Amino acid sequence: MTKRHLVLLILIIIALAAFAAFFVPGSTQKVGIAPPATVYNRSGETAGMEKPCSNEHPDWRPAQIIEGVTIDAAPSCEPDNPYDIATAVKGTNNVSMATLMQTNLAQDALTLTDDLDNDGDPDVIHMRLEVVELNGASPDGEFLINTFDIAPGIQPGLWVYAPKSRGMALKNFNSVVANPLLRAPSPVIRVEQGDKVYITLENTHYLPHTIHLHGVDHPWLTAKGEDNDGMEEHAVFPGKSHTYEIQPRHAGTMLYHCHVQTAQHFMMGLSGMFIVEENQPDNWLQTFNIGAGQVRHPSVAVTKSYSQEYDLHYQSVDKKLAQIIQNVNDPRLIAQRMNRDYNMTESFENYFMLNGHSFPYTLRDGMIIADENEDIKLHIANLQRSSVALHIHGHKATVTALDGVDQPAGLQVTRDVFDIAPAQRTDVRLQTKNDGLHSYGPGLWMFHDHVPTGTTTDGMEPGGNIAILAYKPLLDEQGMPKMHDELFDQVFNKDYYAKKQAVWGVGDFAQLLGQAGLLAPDYLRIIIFGLVTGLIIGLLVFIMLVFKRKQNQ
Amino acid sequence: MKALIIGLTMLGVIESASAMNHGGMLMDEKGMIMNANSDNLPRDCTKISENVDITIHAGQKHALKFTGKMFAFDQQQWDVKPCAKINITFINDDQIRHQLMIHGLPGYLYPEGMFHLELYGKGKLQASLIMPSQKKTYLVHCEVPQHMEKGMKAQIKVDGGDGDLPSIPGISKPVRADVYPVDWSQQTTAVLLLCVLAGCAISYFVIINAQGINNKVQKTLAKLNLKRNTALH
Repeated sequence: MTKRHLVLLILIIIALAAFAAFFVPGSTQKVGIAPPATVYNRSGETAGMEKPCSNEHPDWRPAQIIEGVTIDAAPSCEPDNPYDIATAVKGTNNVSMATLMQTNLAQDALTLTDDLDNDGDPDVIHMRLEVVELNGASPDGEFLINTFDIAPGIQPGLWVYAPKSRGMALKNFNSVVANPLLRAPSPVIRVEQGDKVYITLENTHYLPHTIHLHGVDHPWLTAKGEDNDGMEEHAVFPGKSHTYEIQPRHAGTMLYHCHVQTAQHFMMGLSGMFIVEENQPDNWLQTFNIGAGQVRHPSVAVTKSYSQEYDLHYQSVDKKLAQIIQNVNDPRLIAQRMNRDYNMTESFENYFMLNGHSFPYTLRDGMIIADENEDIKLHIANLQRSSVALHIHGHKATVTALDGVDQPAGLQVTRDVFDIAPAQRTDVRLQTKNDGLHSYGPGLWMFHDHVPTGTTTDGMEPGGNIAILAYKPLLDEQGMPKMHDELFDQVFNKDYYAKKQAVWGVGDFAQLLGQAGLLAPDYLRIIIFGLVTGLIIGLLVFIMLVFKRKQNQ
Repeated sequence: MKALIIGLTMLGVIESASAMNHGGMLMDEKGMIMNANSDNLPRDCTKISENVDITIHAGQKHALKFTGKMFAFDQQQWDVKPCAKINITFINDDQIRHQLMIHGLPGYLYPEGMFHLELYGKGKLQASLIMPSQKKTYLVHCEVPQHMEKGMKAQIKVDGGDGDLPSIPGISKPVRADVYPVDWSQQTTAVLLLCVLAGCAISYFVIINAQGINNKVQKTLAKLNLKRNTALH
């Protein structure tokens, strides 16, 4: 081959390369006249779908009397177990074995004794709390155990305080689902002003924890001179127990939370509401409100001035923090990743929960259910990392207390956004009087944190702490909002929160706003590019072979 | 101890239990016993083969002899004969709740196939059960959330058992193992590099001595063949 031939070949190769450049195929491509067709990625797919309401215990909804305890009706889809309520009012020591067997409570979980002031109710309260891990890891396989779904398909690792339980922690033998006593949030605790209260933390968890009684009147030391403030340096280690003692003189909505590695343990869920009720005669309190929400046995003082009472516990989760306990099993590795590798100052909140659930599960047990002309007491606690700006559609409600201290009459502001800083509590009087100020009339009125992140589940809207203030005529017999079937089909589906479905993928506008499909590969382009590229490689090899042969000669 | 015997029907979970069952539940403010059985023989047993008395301690301190655990029993395995009667003394050394559950037992004697002891705090319980004759390994664990996962897991082997269960401290590997960083130092790197060098040297040595090595290999192979042939005859 002469030099002239070589130059010619090289020129041809360059020309081919230039030609090929026009035909490079890509993973994305500009479209011509017709963009791709709409894909219906929800048609016929039912794997991820769930029934909006499983209606497991319709018999738990009506008002009833158990062990002499009156329990208000709870029309919601997932009403609280009335036997839990009766036991929380009477104590595990004062109910029959038959009632106790309908709960998961241990026989020493809550003992109520001694009417010290002779006013008809017990005044010495001894409760025992355990620390429970939900959605934790197992060395026995790729699954989570003691699961608790906060929303369809969403299972962040959580820690909660739970009243001392007995028996199986799982719902049944064939499941990894936690029994109903073991759930987020940590239970709301109610005691009476002046009661002698003993709170024993039995640390069933594999890391140290404490109980710090935030805002609750408590001496710094116990009668024995031991820690009573639950600070880090007095941690209760695994397998150990410690009893905190209080006799609160001041009534109000307070908190309790773990004060060991506080930022992380608080965010993992070790925080709850602690409500001190006014001392009243014959005031049998519902000591535990499992899962917060409606109080089905309100205190004497609340019953006097309100028709209903609800506890609203706002909580958020950083998925990176929550994953730590799901990725490893060795407690030392968990401690290292949580205490040192994880950096709270670089964290985000991904999940937002009201009473342990994110929308749409908030519709099962997180709704406020009202008639017209009701006066409803709300205890609202912000146990998130960020501020809450709670907005109730169609209503303006009145602040009656802040951080457990009553507001003087002149400072009881009526408004429609309640700003609540982390760890603050706001007591609110919600009136359903249709007067154009307090209420605009019956409806399925949404209420939610108006901070934009709060209404999403890992960025997916509608999610987060969205719930509904529902007027009774607008609920069906299972306590679910009427007229929402289309929305339910969409959101009671794991695939929705796994971000696999178009938000407007069904209905009249599905064609216009559904999922845009993929472009068909342009095979002409791919073939031309392939052939030209092959030719270039072939020519290069040819040149090399010729060159080598020449050298050998 | 004001113990209360609860009828089986009261337990929602074991409604399906056959009427043959004589077990049941014993519960008080200290703990509970479910499905103890000291005299009903499993169908495949004609008599009790041996009486085994075992004491099982549960507690956080028993995890000290392992790494990466938090709770444990004091022993992780018990071997018994087919049709053995096991008299268990269960001792909780902690100030919290612990359980001793044995799974996989015949459902006609032990509803849901389970034998269950539970202590609400420090204390002691005694109960017996009779094992079937089948050669089998039974799971023993505490079902308080994360207690088994963090080490409170053991096994009873009848007639030698049918293998080990996973993630039993000191006995078997987990199915889903944790990953730890390796203590990789300069010395480790030096060893690696040295080995790479040695590998190169070996190949160089092989190439220059190719003929000699080949001969030696042939000789050895011939010898081996010879030996095998003689062994066959």
